[in-house]
Amino acid sequence: MNESDHLTPDQGIRLIIVGLAAWVIPGAGHWLIRERKRAVIIFITITSLFAAGLFIGSIGVIDQVGARIHYIGQMLFSPVTGILGKIAQNGEYASYGRPCDVGQIYTVIAGLLNLLCVLSAVYMAYCGFGEKIGSDEDETGKPVTEGETND
Amino acid sequence: MINLTALLASFTAPITIKTDPWAMLYMFPLLAAIALIYKATKMRVIFWKRFVRETLVLFASVSAFMIAAIIVINLISWLITS
Repeated sequence: MNESDHLTPDQGIRLIIVGLAAWVIPGAGHWLIRERKRAVIIFITITSLFAAGLFIGSIGVIDQVGARIHYIGQMLFSPVTGILGKIAQNGEYASYGRPCDVGQIYTVIAGLLNLLCVLSAVYMAYCGFGEKIGSDEDETGKPVTEGETND
Repeated sequence: MINLTALLASFTAPITIKTDPWAMLYMFPLLAAIALIYKATKMRVIFWKRFVRETLVLFASVSAFMIAAIIVINLISWLITS
């Protein structure tokens, strides 16, 4: 990746796998490229936010028919949303009013944040981020101190 | 021991949220999540102390902006309706 801008088929497949993993399980993309701390933070934060949304508004906030735009955002969280949507489809878990609004906002924001993480994981995989700095080490294997980082 | 059935059942009925100023507090978990994910994706190397510090600063900044926006919008609303 460093010498050429062209991707080999193997590199392309790797990026697709990282992207898909990051979508299926939030944080898994970063885990695959050995960015373990990031992966843990992302998994805990996004999953908690999504679960909080479902707790506030019930699984009725996942509405494939009545709230299609929200559903698209919620699907960005994980394919699990589709399974929950199927369960909620029978109408037994109806959610209205303010709890529904708050629940939808939480779950949609969780999905959009996961989209950001998917893009971040794919970009880091493309740049070789996990390989370059590993677990807080520079290219030579020397531990990186706080003063040496450039965010 | 946590009753698993009761735990799952809690996701099948919405909670009650009153229409009062306290309902605005629901924005803070969102802001915290946004600050955490933003910093987790932006920092080149994650050092826990630095990560927590920068996340707190971002969370405080965004919260302060949101509170300021709420005050301004309420003032405008009050000026128009009074």
